Amino acid sequence: MSVSRAQRDVLSVEWVKLELIRTAYATRGGLFAGMDPRAVVGWYALMALAPWFTHDLTTLACLFLVAAGAVVLARVGPLVLGLFVIGLVLELVYLGLAATLFGGDLTTVVALLEVTAKLGVLSLASLAAFVSLDPEKLSDALLALRFPPAVAFAVSYGYRMMPILVEEFATVMEGYRLRQLPPQRRGFLGRRVVVHWAVVAVKAFYPIFLNTARSVRTTVEALEARGFTFATVDPRGRAIRIGSLRLQPLDVAVLAVTAVLVAACYLAGAQWPLQRP
Amino acid sequence: MSGDVEDDLVIEAVDLSFRYPGADVDTLRDVDLRIRRGDFVAVVGGNGSGKTTLCKTFNGLVPHYWSGEFAGAVHVDGVDTWESSVAALSSRVGYVYQDFQSQLVRATVRDEVAFGPVNFGLADHAERTREALERAGIAHLADRFVWQLSGGQAHLTALASVLALRPEVVVVDEPVAELDPAAAVEVYERLAQLNREHGVTVVTIEHHAEFIARYATSVLLMSDGAPVWHLPTAEALRRAGELADHGIPSPQVVEALGRIGVDGVPRSVAEAAALVRAAEGRGDVRRPGATPHGDPDAAVAADGRVVAAARGVGHGYRSVSGELQPVLDGLDLELHEGDRVALVGGNGAGKTTLMRLLAGIQVPRTGTVVLDGVDTRTERPHRLAERAAYLLQQPARMFLTASVREDVEMFPRSRDVPDVGPLVDRILDRVRLGAVADRDGRTLSGGQQRRATLAIGLAMRPALLLLDEPTASLDVAGRDDVVAMLAELAGDIACTVVATHDMHLVAEWATRVVVLDGGRVLADTTPRALFGDAAVLGRAHLVPPQVTQLGAQLGVHPLPLTVAELAAHYAHVPLGAPA
Repeated sequence: MSVSRAQRDVLSVEWVKLELIRTAYATRGGLFAGMDPRAVVGWYALMALAPWFTHDLTTLACLFLVAAGAVVLARVGPLVLGLFVIGLVLELVYLGLAATLFGGDLTTVVALLEVTAKLGVLSLASLAAFVSLDPEKLSDALLALRFPPAVAFAVSYGYRMMPILVEEFATVMEGYRLRQLPPQRRGFLGRRVVVHWAVVAVKAFYPIFLNTARSVRTTVEALEARGFTFATVDPRGRAIRIGSLRLQPLDVAVLAVTAVLVAACYLAGAQWPLQRP
Repeated sequence: MSGDVEDDLVIEAVDLSFRYPGADVDTLRDVDLRIRRGDFVAVVGGNGSGKTTLCKTFNGLVPHYWSGEFAGAVHVDGVDTWESSVAALSSRVGYVYQDFQSQLVRATVRDEVAFGPVNFGLADHAERTREALERAGIAHLADRFVWQLSGGQAHLTALASVLALRPEVVVVDEPVAELDPAAAVEVYERLAQLNREHGVTVVTIEHHAEFIARYATSVLLMSDGAPVWHLPTAEALRRAGELADHGIPSPQVVEALGRIGVDGVPRSVAEAAALVRAAEGRGDVRRPGATPHGDPDAAVAADGRVVAAARGVGHGYRSVSGELQPVLDGLDLELHEGDRVALVGGNGAGKTTLMRLLAGIQVPRTGTVVLDGVDTRTERPHRLAERAAYLLQQPARMFLTASVREDVEMFPRSRDVPDVGPLVDRILDRVRLGAVADRDGRTLSGGQQRRATLAIGLAMRPALLLLDEPTASLDVAGRDDVVAMLAELAGDIACTVVATHDMHLVAEWATRVVVLDGGRVLADTTPRALFGDAAVLGRAHLVPPQVTQLGAQLGVHPLPLTVAELAAHYAHVPLGAPA
């Protein structure tokens, strides 16, 4: 087997790490990134709830289009969008198979399609909202909505840990790749290779956790010394954090336009109803 | 210690003892200690002497966070730490960890620095943040993400984040360990400025005598959980033997003067040179002309077969915003059998990238890398690993299993090498880890961890061994151990390459130095020639070892690389003998 290696810029571990950072910190900008995080959470609630009050496929199709439009405006990156599309396509394949294998007909497909469409709208709205909220903003919004401070902090710190965990994972996997010879015969459909990497991926957790646990101890001590626990009992820190949040005309406009669009979707459904029989 | 009543004490410990929960022995034993306001204290002592635990009693982490058996009392700025809390003490004592990267919890530098003041609900949080950023000299970095920072910038961010609470005392745990020399100097300069201009008391845990001599005003020697003495720096450095016993060898200039027979404890190279000149003037020592030996480097020049070669190599990485950031640019390099190569250059000069390309872990964007006769583009990385071993900068990241032995075995066993057992035993004996072979590598000391990664590398039986910063974050004993072991390996490995900031390692071990700058080879020469080339040194921000600098100031030729080489140029004149 002749080999020809080249440096790849997409679909590599480095790319995944960069995409996660770009996604998490909304470095691509977009419509919602400039909004008050509370308004974004409100917008998300509106879009996520809207599909659940109807069975009409016309309404759902319109809502899907609105959500897709929001994803474009939010400048969602290729990694999460790709994952979404793969998920949706697999879901459709599964629907077709399930319907034909279990003796169903077109009505079964339509029934299942309704749930898929609702979940699709929900997923697209989530993509648009959470790609636009960097963790600091999300954490502030949660504080403003009276979530416990520990939850708000966990969101922000979780994002902070993510690139570190991805990097640890990449280092450990690289160690295995270099030091442990993969199976020489690939087996049926590369079965041996798949099993080998599955085993390695599980084994990788041991070093990753031990290596990160060490640094987490430092983090916890530093948090304590910088008043993190203090802030959970004293309200002044929260007041300062949420004091900087301001509703702007843009926030109101986006919410209003979305409400109008959702109403329009329901109107369209009433006008051209497409219900399952 | 004198009991001067006029002393304005900022930290006072009386009969302090502490035992961690579940431990069999006290980590701190009957500590009596006084630190004056405005002092710059270097805390020194061997591993396990209780330095870090002592410093954690200052900000209340001991006993409030680590609740072991606590006896005695610690007063900080007049407050009894036992009566207080970690949160309340944080406005008096700031603590910067050795592992400072883990101390950063927010996404941007400004948020990170504001974190403390905002948590405490201080109305002037914005003002404090601005002030702290300025005092740490990182105001221009305020909007950066913390993962975009270099090591030195991250350390200063951690420092600023504790300064924002306006502490009286700042404790910094081993700043030099994880930073390159230029960044370490920057951190120390900032600390000195805080100490000088703002009266902040600074306590550093440090075992690099050169930094102690240059910055500290007093030295506290810890041993077995108790202070041995606390003395002004000049007096402390005079007790060179005692310090060496506790793993703190004297600065090279102090040792050199001792060997030549000149009295005095110089705190810098310039002071040392002045002392030597004065002694020569008095006729206490003399320099008997040029040495009879010719060029001391002539014998070591190697010109064996080519083990690895880079031809016109260019490489770079994508940034968060998507553009390509070049690291290497049209680089040419040949490594020969018998070479001991030191790869030097500032942070971001491309040392790690070059090593990963030479090992075939990555392939270059342009140009070719030929490893042991194989173009790395045409072979899988795990096959190239049979020809070249690359050892990571953080040893813990190479430990994939629960014991050192399994880690060393992994490579040869999966390749069906015959007699793996005896081979691994031999290698473990070689790196003197036979006794701890069944322990998890992460539980070993820094020096042992390095040697364990060396064992992993040796078990791969490579032609080319590449080590990334093998002496970083080691104490002096661990460092000397690794350097000695590298020298012993010459027979087994055709060519060894070490990327390093450690100029002592370059001087003592390397036969060839490759200086990287701007993605190319700036110089490819011997250590002695490099240290004599002011232009290259300046451009790559390299500082030769103290003894080499001293040799240069005194006009010694050829330049000395070790204290012994310098001392060989001088003769002590016994009292009463004619000069």
